Amino acid sequence: MKMTRARSAFLFLAFALPPLSGAGTESIGSLRTLQGPVFLSRNGQERAVTQPERLYQQDVVRTGKAGSAGLLLRDDTAISLGPESRLALEQFTFAPAQGRLGLVARLFKGTMAFLSGQIARLAPNAVKVETPEATVGIRGTYFLVQAEEK
Amino acid sequence: MTRAALLILPWFLLLLSCAAPRTRVVLLPDPDGHVGVVEVRNAQGGRTLDQTHQGVQVPAGKTPGAPEILPDTAIQATFGAAMAAQPQAPAHFILQFESGSTALVPASRPLLARIVSTIQERRSLDVSVIGHTDTAGSDEFNNQLARQRAEGVAKLLVEAGVDPRLLEVTSHGKAIPLVPTGDNVPEPRNRRVEVTVR
Repeated sequence: MKMTRARSAFLFLAFALPPLSGAGTESIGSLRTLQGPVFLSRNGQERAVTQPERLYQQDVVRTGKAGSAGLLLRDDTAISLGPESRLALEQFTFAPAQGRLGLVARLFKGTMAFLSGQIARLAPNAVKVETPEATVGIRGTYFLVQAEEK
Repeated sequence: MTRAALLILPWFLLLLSCAAPRTRVVLLPDPDGHVGVVEVRNAQGGRTLDQTHQGVQVPAGKTPGAPEILPDTAIQATFGAAMAAQPQAPAHFILQFESGSTALVPASRPLLARIVSTIQERRSLDVSVIGHTDTAGSDEFNNQLARQRAEGVAKLLVEAGVDPRLLEVTSHGKAIPLVPTGDNVPEPRNRRVEVTVR
């Protein structure tokens, strides 16, 4: 029993954490809440996600019918998606000591709640949400966006 | 007019007659009750939202419409599921050090066990261990000390059983003070390591 639990914990971590590899692979946060169908697309390959896992720049999160997802980024920005939504984490840079800060998220379709974090507090002009119809510039802190599909 | 253009024209008119997709943006208070500001802009123009429940609609290719105050029922109907999926707020822990040293002050030591249990309870995959400095002294010295402190805390967490792959260990230097001060001001509360469990 004990063995099984240790093993399942190991397997959980082995899936959730890709092996440490070269530069440019730093995690930008994690997918924390998942309900219904949620899909994660990385390097052009999409797969279903059922457990919390780490997120990387350029990841695209998609929810199906009755799906929802909550993301927590490294600067404490919280983004949550309603059903039938698709969001790309296009840019995330959080290196305050070097003065490098930026966050660009693109909502292709669906609904999103956005609670801004430290990047918006330190450099408000560096945070943007893009939709097919508009750009949302953020001086803080909590807002909602819906993008209808063409 | 070319033949191709004549063939395309009816399709173009049909497209125009369909309801154009829209973007909607609504401003609400954050969990602390504070109402922020957002700007909604496209090539045709822009609008600013700065009041709670204020919303704006942007039809494709058109200027953002006039902002209007929306009732809770309408906001819930569209955004209820997205709002309900918001993840639990991150847990922050602040550890303080003896002056100029990498030794924790006695009052901060019990926090280590609380950090470890929070990581386990949340099954966190993402823990930041970040050194911060005050504004006194050279950036280089401060950054190095802040990094050494953060690395020391990370080592203690790993010794207590935390998977090192969960930890992001870095220094933010003097960029994010806990207590805002001018430059070159010694402030013990700003010399700290912050552990954030997400």
